Amino acid sequence: MNSYAESAEVNEELPTWTMDSVDPARMKTMAAILRDPYSVHWDPVANSALGLGGRVINQGPLNLGYVVNMLIAWAGPTCVRRLTVSFARPVLDGDRVVARGRVISLQSTRGEHTATCDVWLERGGETVVSGTAVVAFGTKPSPSSTSH
Amino acid sequence: MAITQAELSALVGHRFAGGTYRIEHWENWLLTNCTGADPLPDGVVHPIALFHVPILGAGTSITELFELGQASGAGSVGLEGYDWEYFVALREDVEYRMEGGIVEAERRTADDGRVYDRVAFSIELFDDSLLVARITNRWQFFRDLP
Repeated sequence: MNSYAESAEVNEELPTWTMDSVDPARMKTMAAILRDPYSVHWDPVANSALGLGGRVINQGPLNLGYVVNMLIAWAGPTCVRRLTVSFARPVLDGDRVVARGRVISLQSTRGEHTATCDVWLERGGETVVSGTAVVAFGTKPSPSSTSH
Repeated sequence: MAITQAELSALVGHRFAGGTYRIEHWENWLLTNCTGADPLPDGVVHPIALFHVPILGAGTSITELFELGQASGAGSVGLEGYDWEYFVALREDVEYRMEGGIVEAERRTADDGRVYDRVAFSIELFDDSLLVARITNRWQFFRDLP
């Protein structure tokens, strides 16, 4: 276990990761990568019936991606062992979202040291994604919050 | 409501064709960039690849999954949740083999009274015979749009 993991404690909060403005252009690229025909992610006109005011809905994997980026910034690029999440509310283009987490337990299994964390994505005071993550400590985590 | 309870129940056990998928550098770069992050070192694939790689690698597609669930247009499909397990970090330019199918399909009523069908599919990813990841995704197909 590295020095940071040795100092990690239950209830410790993870450094946050912020997406300052969800970008609709990235949703279009993502739709192409996913081969996703669902127009809610790229066609604001098609969303008019949904009352979204000309906005588009971010892909769920991208919302989860912000949470993953927080975990990677904290514990390294190959740290993620399990993600169990649910999606409560859609995230729209232009939204500012903040990924947050908190250590709820520390384990050692088959020689690997892991932390189980509550993780969530916030928009304002509203939680839009929530769940748990199991993270292994393979490289020294960064102690500082990041914004993008 | 287009899909009957019997049709819904019959989805359980549906198997995807199965197949392989190789994540190339360009695809991983764009995927990672979409999340707002810098590329990961040493060809490590961004973990959110576990959304589309299993679907496409298992020989299905979002389009086919929408057809199976009989989605009816914008706003008729929502994500409920994911359970993704990583046993080995995914890497670029490795050909992974995938197999899986639909494991749950049931009619439910949301707190606001909307009727939806929860459909879950599970897919496993292998590097040769080594299990490297397993995903279970739960989607919601809404049947009574406002």
